[in-house]
Amino acid sequence: MVDRSHIVKSYEQELGQLRSMVSQMGGIVENQVALALSAIAEKNEEAASSATQQDPAVDALERDVEALAIRLLALRSPMASDLREIVATLKITGDLERIGDYASSIARRSLRIRSANEQITLTGLRSMGRLVQDNLRRSIDAITQQDSSRAMEVWHSDRAVDEYYTALFRELVTYMMEDPRNIRSCTELLFIAKNLERIGDHATNIAERVFYAVTGENLPAVRPRGGIATTENIVDVTDR
Amino acid sequence: MTDTQQPAAPQNALTVRNLNFFYGQHHALHDVNIDFPARKVTAMIGPSGCGKSTLLRIFNRMYDLYPGQRAEGEVMFDGRNLLENGIDLNIMRARIGMVFQKPTPFPMSIYDNIAFGVRLHERLTRAQMDERVQDVLTRVALWGEVRDRLHAPANGLSGGQQQRLCIARSIATRPEVLLLDEPTSALDPISTARIEELLDELKEEFTIVIVTHNMQQAARCADQVAFFYMGRLVEVDTADRIFTNPRQQQTQDYITGRFG
Repeated sequence: MVDRSHIVKSYEQELGQLRSMVSQMGGIVENQVALALSAIAEKNEEAASSATQQDPAVDALERDVEALAIRLLALRSPMASDLREIVATLKITGDLERIGDYASSIARRSLRIRSANEQITLTGLRSMGRLVQDNLRRSIDAITQQDSSRAMEVWHSDRAVDEYYTALFRELVTYMMEDPRNIRSCTELLFIAKNLERIGDHATNIAERVFYAVTGENLPAVRPRGGIATTENIVDVTDR
Repeated sequence: MTDTQQPAAPQNALTVRNLNFFYGQHHALHDVNIDFPARKVTAMIGPSGCGKSTLLRIFNRMYDLYPGQRAEGEVMFDGRNLLENGIDLNIMRARIGMVFQKPTPFPMSIYDNIAFGVRLHERLTRAQMDERVQDVLTRVALWGEVRDRLHAPANGLSGGQQQRLCIARSIATRPEVLLLDEPTSALDPISTARIEELLDELKEEFTIVIVTHNMQQAARCADQVAFFYMGRLVEVDTADRIFTNPRQQQTQDYITGRFG
């Protein structure tokens, strides 16, 4: 029983096809996020438009994965680890599709901060972007390698993403209170930060689903969180 | 396990302890320990020759019919070890009914197929017998189909109807345990669905043990599933657990179709 492949070879092939479609989808989405981040960091318009252009390919893959997963459920009656993998895959493609959408949204907004007030720092956003990108890469690696410990790492490091977001939120709100002329660009940046935070959450969802598919156990319902972004306790400089 | 039993009812209908079985020199079951919860369906699965049918046959001492076959250990049923010599096999077989893979109607009328077994154990008036026949045929959902031809030969029924008649015959003697050995493997999907629906209703009253090669059937019908391999019980757990996340790699390989 060393060889763990199915007795029915066509079943094995279809599962392989499902895996390769998901990893293809993961690759595109990862690239979209990278392009969106470089659109912000390097003010690269080409990167921005190329990020948004990938959306249709991601959507098409999502539909293909769904069709194949439903076919497998109907025709193969998968059990145990196969069943868990197929159900997890269905949900993972949903997460990947959302990540792709957020990346496009970031790319589009990056074009609008082109003329933004240059004194507003993008450092925090860049660091947050790098961390989110790293988590996404690790969660996609976890899918392709069916690696539950890598999934666990991602799950733990989402807390840092939340902390970055909370800090950025406070920073940007402070800028807006300082000078209403900042509101326009800061709002765009705030949405970008929010989109990055959402991408981080979906990467964590993927990690949770991989963990379930591989081990059959669920990670705890409550994941480590890094505080909530609110306007409370932000010192309003105009009050001084 | 999460099953919540009525406090008054006995927890387990059958309790198997350190059971070994031999076909002459061949050691067919090795140290099997398993409980069969009362009024639940337990499915036994595993590849051919794994010992699941052997275990089922032990429960009504079918092996007594064959010289050279012997069982060692304990099968506790209602406070007694079924493997003891002093057990009255006729009474025991009335309390533990069995249905086989192929329908086995007796070469007699539909009515007599049911009355035959009942007459061996109970003295009923004609009216009481009529009532019993109608009752069990209704419960296996056969009454409507055969009420007008109760005295026609049973082998004129379709395969699915014959199998339901055999189940009716088994429950007519009011057993506590119903053993089924691949009861639907010779039936079409509709007849199979009827039998599965029937099991669902019967488990309110009976403890059911079913041997099946059909994994989906085990998943659909059973509360508890036991996986056997090479004469050993590999794993027993709720159907939910076995089919979503079994503990043993061997179980996983078997139910996902990876057995080399």
